[in-house]
Order: sequence, then C-alpha cells, then structure tokens
Amino acid sequence: MKLHILLFSFLFTIVVSGQERFLTKQGYTSFFSSAPVEDIKADNNQVLSIIDTSTGTIAIAILMKSFMFEKSLMQEHFNENYVESDKYPKAKFKGQILNFNSLDQNEQEVTIDGNITIHGVTQKLETLAKITRTTDHISVQGSFPLKIADFNIKIPSVVVNNIAEIVEVSFALDHKPYKK
Amino acid sequence: MIRKTKIILINAVLIIILAVIFISVTVFNKPHTDVSENTPNFYLEATNVLEEFQDNETQANTKYLEQVLQITGTISELNITDEKGVISLSDNDSFGSVMCHIDAKENSKLTTLKVGQMITIKGICTGYLMDVVLVKCIILN
Repeated sequence: MKLHILLFSFLFTIVVSGQERFLTKQGYTSFFSSAPVEDIKADNNQVLSIIDTSTGTIAIAILMKSFMFEKSLMQEHFNENYVESDKYPKAKFKGQILNFNSLDQNEQEVTIDGNITIHGVTQKLETLAKITRTTDHISVQGSFPLKIADFNIKIPSVVVNNIAEIVEVSFALDHKPYKK
Repeated sequence: MIRKTKIILINAVLIIILAVIFISVTVFNKPHTDVSENTPNFYLEATNVLEEFQDNETQANTKYLEQVLQITGTISELNITDEKGVISLSDNDSFGSVMCHIDAKENSKLTTLKVGQMITIKGICTGYLMDVVLVKCIILN
C-alpha cells in the first residue's frame, strides 16, 4: 500500500513538473518457465515505465491481466489460481539506475536496484540492464530470474512438473520524453 | 453369456476413456476469447469509462476486467511501431485516455485513420495504469 502511494505521488509530480521525465506506456515484459513437462511463456506489451532523469529513479507498473499466454487455460490459471489478479491487479517496481548521470550515448551495462511487488509481496531486486540514453530516447533492457515462492505464489503438487520454480523475466522499455 | 458381458464392459470402459481424453484435450486447448465474434458486455463512451476508473479503480476493475468493451471516442493519438498499432481515445481536456492496442490482423485499417476522428473500437479491458488499457482491439468504424 505504501508503494502504491509512493507510485501515485511519483506519477502526480510528473503532472506538476513535466520536463525531466521519460516515459513509455507500451513497454514489453515477458516471463518464461521451463519445466520437464512443458515450457510456458507469456508476453505483456502494456508496461508503464517512467524514468526521472534528474535522479535516475525508475518506476514501473504492470497489469497482470495483460500477460498473454499461448493457451487461454494457462492464462486463466495464472490469473485465478497463481497471481490472483482480481485481488492484486498490478505488479510494481521502483528503483534506482545506478550511476545514471554518468551515462553517455553508447549502450552500457548498469545496475538497477530497487523493490519489486508481485502478488502483494515486496522483495528486493538488483539486476543488470543494458541502457542506451540519447536526448530523445532512453532504452532499458535485460532479464533476471525470479523465484515464484518468494512472492507467496503456491504451485499445486499436481502441476509441479509443468511450472518451473524459477522463471526468467525479460524486459525491453523504450522511453520517450514525456510531454502533455 | 459371461464373455458377451465382458466384451460390452470392455467397450464401455474404452468409450469412457476416449470421452475423458477428448474432453480434457478440448478443455486444455480451449480457444482465447475472439473479440470479433463476441457481443460486447458493455457499450461505452471513452470519457465515461476513463472517469469511472479515475473515480474508483477497484470498482471499475470488478466491473470491466476481462470483459469485451465497445468504446466510442475521439482519436487523440495514433501510434504505430514495429507492426503494433495503438490508438488513444480521449478528449484533450482529460488527463489519461483509453489506450486501445490493436490486434495485428486489423493493421491494414490503421492507415486510413486520422487524429480527431470519431471511432468505435471493441476490445478486452485489462486494467488501468495512467490510461485504461484495452487489448486485442478491432476497429468497427
């Protein structure tokens, strides 16, 4: 809840002062689970991500129902049984891109350090990402492993061979200067 | 006589097994909601649905998530990148919009659209971030 307020106030400050924010509403994220019985992949093209260039802060919000699966039954199980997206409709991340202000225009590897909230559970997350920053564009991409059990998501023993304990999360966020 | 009963029994068991396999395969491969073939659960104006989400997001989520919405509004922004079309519907006074992510098979229709035009779109609502998000949208007119 605290994070929710933080994110909201963060969004609100953007409305007030427009300039130093870069934003995307069409960011991409996916997760991939590889298990003995099957591989499962889901894509989401509706990620909201905001970078404050004065501080290097990044805030990301993701709609759980925007994850698209190959099979509709998987999507149904994901939303209803595992992440309970009626109760927890969003996943969030708020963090810091380290050494943000020393970046030049070349692609570089940076560390992003922050907190991720999924299924109502907040965990620390530190990951490497590739970042390219120009005057009208900031692209951030990378991937990291996520342990399902860390977020209090229970996988029934019947499907334990269908779903991996650790899923690979990928992201590609292409920010543009925010103007309204 | 016993032999005959046995054969009938074996056949019955076989039929039941086949039926179970058939049903589970159909359930497992249940198709995704086809937006173009579904009658909308709600007919709405873009500004109204945006207001509903801004006023009470939880309530609007309960009402609209995973539902097929048919929404009419003015195009405030058109965005086509990497074969992905996104149409934003809003009047320019409001902060936020209804963002419609267009289904790839509708891409040919995107070229004829202009900002400022009135349009009706049908899609599945997945929630609200800064905008109300609709996916798998098809363009009606």
